[in-house]
Amino acid sequence: MLSAKAKESIKTALAMTIAYSIALSMDWDRPYWAGFAVAMVSLATVGQSMNKAALRMFGTLVGMVVALTFIALFAQERWAFILLLSTYTGFCAYMMSGSRNAYFWHVSAFVCVIICMDGGPHAANAFQTAMLRTQETGLGILVYSLVTIFIWPSRSTTAFNAASADLATTQLQFYRACLGLASGQGGEQEAQQLSAQQVQQKAHFDQLLGAAETDSYEVWELRQPWRRYQQQAAELMHALERWRESFAEVQALDLQHLLPGLDAFGNELDRRLLQIKKMLAGHAPDQLPLVVDLSLDKDAVRGLSHFDSASVVVTRDHMRRLEQLTRSLFESASEISGVSKASASADVPRTSSSALVLDLDRMANVVRFMAIFWMAWLALIYVNDIPGGAGLVSMGAAIGIAIANMPQVPVSKLFMPAATGMLIGAVLYIFVMPTLSSFMGLGLMIFTATFAICYLFAAPQQALGRIFGLVLFITLASISNEQSYNFLSVANTAWMFSLVFLILAITAYIPFSPRPERAFLRLLGRFFRSSEYLMSAMRQDIPPPATRLELWKKTFHAREVATLPAKLGTWAPHVDAKVLSGTTPEQVQALVISVQTLTYRMQHLLEERDSPQAQLLVKALFEEFHAWQLGLQAVLQGLAENPAGAESSALRVRLDSVLERLEEKIKGALNKPAEGQFSDQDAEEFYRLLGAYRGVSEALVDYAGNAGAIDWVPWRQERFA
Amino acid sequence: MPPLLVAAVFGMMAALLTTRLLNRYRLSKYFFYPPVVSLALIIIYTVLIGTFIIGT
Repeated sequence: MLSAKAKESIKTALAMTIAYSIALSMDWDRPYWAGFAVAMVSLATVGQSMNKAALRMFGTLVGMVVALTFIALFAQERWAFILLLSTYTGFCAYMMSGSRNAYFWHVSAFVCVIICMDGGPHAANAFQTAMLRTQETGLGILVYSLVTIFIWPSRSTTAFNAASADLATTQLQFYRACLGLASGQGGEQEAQQLSAQQVQQKAHFDQLLGAAETDSYEVWELRQPWRRYQQQAAELMHALERWRESFAEVQALDLQHLLPGLDAFGNELDRRLLQIKKMLAGHAPDQLPLVVDLSLDKDAVRGLSHFDSASVVVTRDHMRRLEQLTRSLFESASEISGVSKASASADVPRTSSSALVLDLDRMANVVRFMAIFWMAWLALIYVNDIPGGAGLVSMGAAIGIAIANMPQVPVSKLFMPAATGMLIGAVLYIFVMPTLSSFMGLGLMIFTATFAICYLFAAPQQALGRIFGLVLFITLASISNEQSYNFLSVANTAWMFSLVFLILAITAYIPFSPRPERAFLRLLGRFFRSSEYLMSAMRQDIPPPATRLELWKKTFHAREVATLPAKLGTWAPHVDAKVLSGTTPEQVQALVISVQTLTYRMQHLLEERDSPQAQLLVKALFEEFHAWQLGLQAVLQGLAENPAGAESSALRVRLDSVLERLEEKIKGALNKPAEGQFSDQDAEEFYRLLGAYRGVSEALVDYAGNAGAIDWVPWRQERFA
Repeated sequence: MPPLLVAAVFGMMAALLTTRLLNRYRLSKYFFYPPVVSLALIIIYTVLIGTFIIGT
């Protein structure tokens, strides 16, 4: 019985051999382009491969049209031509890092460069090159698609069903862990693990949903409820996180007493999540969602301090949000399982587009890609007989755009896969290929080499090695009908790749240092700068943003605050604790979590500021709130300059004194107006605002505690990357 | 193949080795801006290799 990786390797090897045989029998020039297409689109399941194949085909077509347009417009103007080409590829590099269809933009960019570099010097051949590239890419995709559909088809459905069941189970477990934490039971560590697991499983689910829609008719038919479920599951994930982050303020309180319906409410949510899990497994639900109430015990709340009351109101809001989300999830799951039909409100809510909000990290990727592209281009123009010729620019663009979008991956990590691929290709080209006399022998060699590379680099984390291995084997072998053997061609290709790596290494510092700890510090600085801006924009003594520029700035900083914790999370595993003595990976992880908490609290504060407020109370306490805002702003400003610059104990003392002073002022303000002037609604709205301010302050104290545990001196010391 | 190119590639490798050693023995912290030092090392090694090894 063959293993899964053997079957996948055989499929890729067979598709590669068939693609070569067709291209050679049709006497097409450069048959290796068909081989490239097979190498790139071969993935674990039919759906994943088909999706990637579609993106490659569309990317090739768009790249081809753009390249022919550039050649037609600027055939005789070298600099205008390359300026326009680099602008287009730069645009693709920007789009690549933020798009679901990243591969489309990647292919579109490098196909455009390949055709321009090939057709640019001989414009008459441009059309032929473009057509050849397109038809051979189409051939490779068609052959691989047929092979993967007819031989051991591996559909995504089973993996997708397992992924959706796993996600539902983890969300249920995470909810239970959070509920345990709220009632003072359960461990923080378990909740932390489940939280990380939830994020990973959600990413896996997202990945497989696209594939399952392509290769399973059942999933395709239910794609709308599935997409809705995907979005609601993401919202539930965030809502659970925000709820969990609010526990610090309520842990000392008796929530069961303050919220009498808490147990029934908690059990109902538990039951709903359990029913969702059952429905996704194909079973009918035992019962429909019940209406549950989570009212405050007003008498008990009156006995609390105002800040504790605010914390209870905030926690209850989080739980009500969970109630709404579990109800929507239940509806989507019942539609998926066929229990109920689509409701009128079943359309997927549109998320606001953020395409016009600039992303600084994506811009940095573009700058690095531009540096790679221009360096390769200038080397081609000014260095005589440079190895690879125009191929240096094509290969530099194809690898450079991918590397620029993965700034966390050091160039040195690519060296081994590239060297292995080069060695395999060189040995076959020099020692094996000259002994072959028919396609029987050549086909056997293509099959064996492809199988060996795919089998040796089968694990998902070895994808880079597999791609480099196949690309270098195909490039070095350069199989064609008029085969020639020349050691210089191997040496030239090897030199060309060395030059590409040289350019990648030189441009690693453009525009920023590639050192993970430096990137981490830079992102932290940006996070606090944006937080400080948002805090200043919330001040009541400053008019709210009115002009387009001001609104755009606010959106930009809100987006920065929302996205930077995830970016910090991608850099955190690359921070080398061996080099940075006095720092452990757990400390870095804790710091990232505290930044994420701060984001949730800032977002909560922004939402509360935008919602209706108890204006009389806010006005009565204007000075205190203003002083609090200025204090927060000053702390954030200090952290923007030095992310380790706040001392947790000092902040705690300051916060406690602010809370004490405000408590007294609130009492005074509440006693002043005539009775009946403040409704319960007013009080709740005021408590929400109060809770949101306190939340940000507590999160800052928590961050300062985590930052204080790290020895930052080695982080700032200079080091070669 | 241009001799300068060959010298540059070997210069790059020698500079890489030197920077690794400087990192290993924690001497890199004494430089103000290591990327420029890297570049300077590449140029120095390239010139030396080009003059005394490839040039001869």
